[in-house]
Amino acid sequence: MQNTTLEVSTHLAEVYSTVKGAVYQSDSEKCWYVDFAGKMARFDYRNILKLKKAIYAIDIEEILLNSSKAADVEIVFICACEHCYVLTLLEIISFKELLEGTFVMLSLNQILHDRLYRIAA
Amino acid sequence: MKKLNQEAMKDIIRVKSLISADVETLLNQQIKKEAQSSSAYLSMASWCDRNGFDNSAEYFFKQAEEERQHQMKFFRYVLDMGGSALSPEITNVKIEYNSFREIFEEALDQEISVTQSIKNIAARCHKEQDYVTVEFLNWFFKEQREEEYKARRALELFDLIGEEGTGRWEIDKHVGKIHYGNEAGE
Repeated sequence: MQNTTLEVSTHLAEVYSTVKGAVYQSDSEKCWYVDFAGKMARFDYRNILKLKKAIYAIDIEEILLNSSKAADVEIVFICACEHCYVLTLLEIISFKELLEGTFVMLSLNQILHDRLYRIAA
Repeated sequence: MKKLNQEAMKDIIRVKSLISADVETLLNQQIKKEAQSSSAYLSMASWCDRNGFDNSAEYFFKQAEEERQHQMKFFRYVLDMGGSALSPEITNVKIEYNSFREIFEEALDQEISVTQSIKNIAARCHKEQDYVTVEFLNWFFKEQREEEYKARRALELFDLIGEEGTGRWEIDKHVGKIHYGNEAGE
C-alpha cells in the first residue's frame, strides 16, 4: 500500500490526510485518489460526490445506540463506481472525518483560486 | 507567488459546477416542493370537478401545469449549471377536503410557503455571492407576486360574495376570471 502511494505521488497533490487515510488530487486525470481501509481508490467528480453523500448519510448515532446483535458493519456501495467499502463503525467515523477535511480543503482551494487568480489583482 | 501558482491544485469542483453543493441541495429541495405543489393543485382540481365547481377545477388544472413548469425550470437550471437534478418522489397527496373554501385557503398557504422557500435560497446565494442563481431566482419572485395575488383574490371572493344560497356557484364563476397583469396595478 505504502509503495503505491509513493509511486503515484509524483503527480498527486495531497488534499487532506489523517492517521487513518488520505485523499490526493490528480490534476492531469481530474480525479481524486482515496487511500482508505487498505486500498487506493480512484474517484471522479461525480463519484466522489456520491461517496460523500453515502458516507454522510450513515446515521452514526443510530448505529451506536442500536443494541441488536447484527454486526456493526456498513456496506457502502456507490452506483456506477467500481469501488465498494465494507466499514466498521470506527472506520465510518474516520472516513467521515477524512472526507469532511477533504471537502473543507477543496472549498478552501476554491476560495484561493477565486481570490488569487480569478479576480485580477 | 509564482511558486504558489505552479503548485496550486486545480479547482476541479468549480470547473465542473457553477453552483455550490449547498445551493444545489436547496434547488433540489425546491424541485420537490414545486412537484408537491403541482400534485396538490391537481388534487384540488379533482375535488372541484367532482363537486361541480367546474371553473375552479379548470383554474387548478392550470395551476398544476404552471407548478410543473416551475419544477422543470429549476430542474434544467441545476443540470445546466453542472449539478445533479433529482427527480423527486411525491407521496401523501391529499384527496379529500372539508370545504370549497378550505381548498383556496390551502392554495394560498402553499404559495406563501413557496415564496418563503425561494427567499431562503436567495438568502443563501447572497451569502456566498452566487449572483448567477439570484438572477435566475428573480423570475420566480415576479411569478410569486402573481401566484399570491391570485390565491388571495380567490379567498377574497368568499368574503365578498358569501357562501349562502347560490354564493358558491357565483364564487366559482368568478374564480375563472381572476387575472393579474404583468405589472402591479394592471
